Amino acid sequence: MSNDVVLEVKNLKTHFISSKGIAKAVDGVDFVLRKGETLGIVGESGCGKSMTSLSILRLIPSPPGKIVDGEVLLNGKNLVTMPNAELRKIRGNRISMIFQEPMTSLNPVIPVGEQIAEALRLHQGLSKKAAWAKSVEMIGLVGIPSPEKRAKQEPFQLSGGMRQRVMIAMALACTPEVLIADEPTTALDVTIQAQILEIMKDLQRKIGMGIIFITHDLGVVAEMCDQVAVMYAGQIVEHQNTAELFKNPLHPYTQGLIGSLPKLYEDQDELQIIEGTVPSPYDYPEGCRFAERCPFARSICSEKQPDLIQYDEESKVRCWKYTNEWQVSLTKELVTT
Amino acid sequence: MNSLMIDKKPLLKVTELKQHFTLKREVVFQAKQVVKAVDGISFELFPGETLSIVGESGCGKSTTGRSILRLDEPTGGDVLFKDESLTKMSKKELRRVRGDIQVIFQDPYASLNPRRTIRQMLDEAMAIQKVLPPNEREARMLELMKHVGLRPEYLERYPHEFSGGQRQRIGIARALAVNPEIIICDEAVSALDVSIRAQILNLLKKLQKDLNLTFLFISHDLSVVRHISDRVMVMYLGKIVEIADKSSLFNNPLHPYTKALLSAIPVTDQTKREDRIILKGDVPSPLNPPVGCRFNTRCPFATDLCRKEEPKLRELESNHSVACHYAEELSS
Repeated sequence: MSNDVVLEVKNLKTHFISSKGIAKAVDGVDFVLRKGETLGIVGESGCGKSMTSLSILRLIPSPPGKIVDGEVLLNGKNLVTMPNAELRKIRGNRISMIFQEPMTSLNPVIPVGEQIAEALRLHQGLSKKAAWAKSVEMIGLVGIPSPEKRAKQEPFQLSGGMRQRVMIAMALACTPEVLIADEPTTALDVTIQAQILEIMKDLQRKIGMGIIFITHDLGVVAEMCDQVAVMYAGQIVEHQNTAELFKNPLHPYTQGLIGSLPKLYEDQDELQIIEGTVPSPYDYPEGCRFAERCPFARSICSEKQPDLIQYDEESKVRCWKYTNEWQVSLTKELVTT
Repeated sequence: MNSLMIDKKPLLKVTELKQHFTLKREVVFQAKQVVKAVDGISFELFPGETLSIVGESGCGKSTTGRSILRLDEPTGGDVLFKDESLTKMSKKELRRVRGDIQVIFQDPYASLNPRRTIRQMLDEAMAIQKVLPPNEREARMLELMKHVGLRPEYLERYPHEFSGGQRQRIGIARALAVNPEIIICDEAVSALDVSIRAQILNLLKKLQKDLNLTFLFISHDLSVVRHISDRVMVMYLGKIVEIADKSSLFNNPLHPYTKALLSAIPVTDQTKREDRIILKGDVPSPLNPPVGCRFNTRCPFATDLCRKEEPKLRELESNHSVACHYAEELSS
């Protein structure tokens, strides 16, 4: 099993240093991604999910951003300390990325087929003709009708859904080992989203890449991912396999998130809510970062930060509730009252 | 809400509303290009209910909301508010009515003046609509802040000092300041994180009950719509394809587009998942909508009839209307 690991992130910390202080956008993130597996990273705005993905390929704006600690291992090789020239050979080749808004990632004045072919010539050393042929093939593969014609068109001539397909074609042209998809369907309508998700699953079966799927949409996670890491305030607070996460969420934050979704199949009078707001990344509380909003919080929660502990073989959670200390603090509180 | 519809007159009656935008010519002598964003829709909004408009981008749902208030001048049809025609009103009369019909937009930050405190904004709204004399406004402001769950001392703050959810609460407070009867919520919770979205949805429901408000709720998010609505209207390329009571629409959708739309929503409970209908292709351009039924290019059941003749919206079951030639056959 461990041989299948393609990407391993260890204690990754990305901080942003500005006159306002230090924003700990990513603050000690660990996970592994296996071949052919989809890992979802979910969380609300500002939780650090996008920054985690950008840090993997060292794409964070620097300054002010800086990876201050940790390792990102692609088949054992550390990307954090790698020279730039070497990293460039990995970006778009062995690890590629797609983003929410394809229009900002595509060159507006170059035909899309040309843009895909460029990556193939650069990374795979294909001839101009071979690269073009492969490019057209990829455009066909992502389900765009009449690929020869579309390859010659510029991005503005394509619809939003088609542009996102082109991005996927480009990302997968060099058969990467890892695909990082950062909110790839968030800007799309649901019927188009359904098409894109289907294509991603289909191509994963064919190519076998591992996917890191970043999204705020729990429904999409449930459909796409094998494993889910839930992030809150720069840290992973829970990591489980998908089915288990929705059946039995461990962390109070995950429970709150799932509870706050309107249900499509039942009527509810009122939605469950999570009180309060996310703490500022400049000033995280000393103890558990969720303690202030947590319905279960005890004194220990605001005193000491919990670790991401192994709950069972496949699940991890960062919460005092699942530790021995919790029982101790419980009895202590009973004694004092 | 069936009972509502029987014994009450509609608060808002929209008939054959049209909103056509003529595009600028890009080339000399180019034929006129017209985008039919909303193309002859009729519906009624009853007091105390929440009617939702759902659909994908470009279906005309937001344009409908804007046309009702004449934020864009509609090009055809009529809108009656309590038997008064909004489309025939003078600008001055319209301004008075706008106090009764308020809007909340998706991005509250864009609709709040960054240089005004919350107090100034609420005060201005009340002054313009002349809802209260100045000496009574203070008490009303405190009441409004309480309604939307904000601390009274926030009155002195500026919009940038608030989070997204709080800004949406301010937008709601401002809308409520003038005692409206109808609130049009245009993607009002779409930009919010799920936990905050839940707070705002609960707030809207509570306010509706406490203040007897009527909502026209425009959204692309079907699970939110399911939560908040009494009735739902589905739009596609400027037309209503289906309109029904919420439970009837979600449990027994009649139009193939509604069925596909419902099946496309990713759900967290995989056991509840129905077979997904994946639609082919994209939404056609509203510049050049398909002839006949506008959905025919993507509909798995389309026939020659659908490509020729446009289906009319007809009531198939009580309070459940659909615009599809084959609705009966497809539902059995």
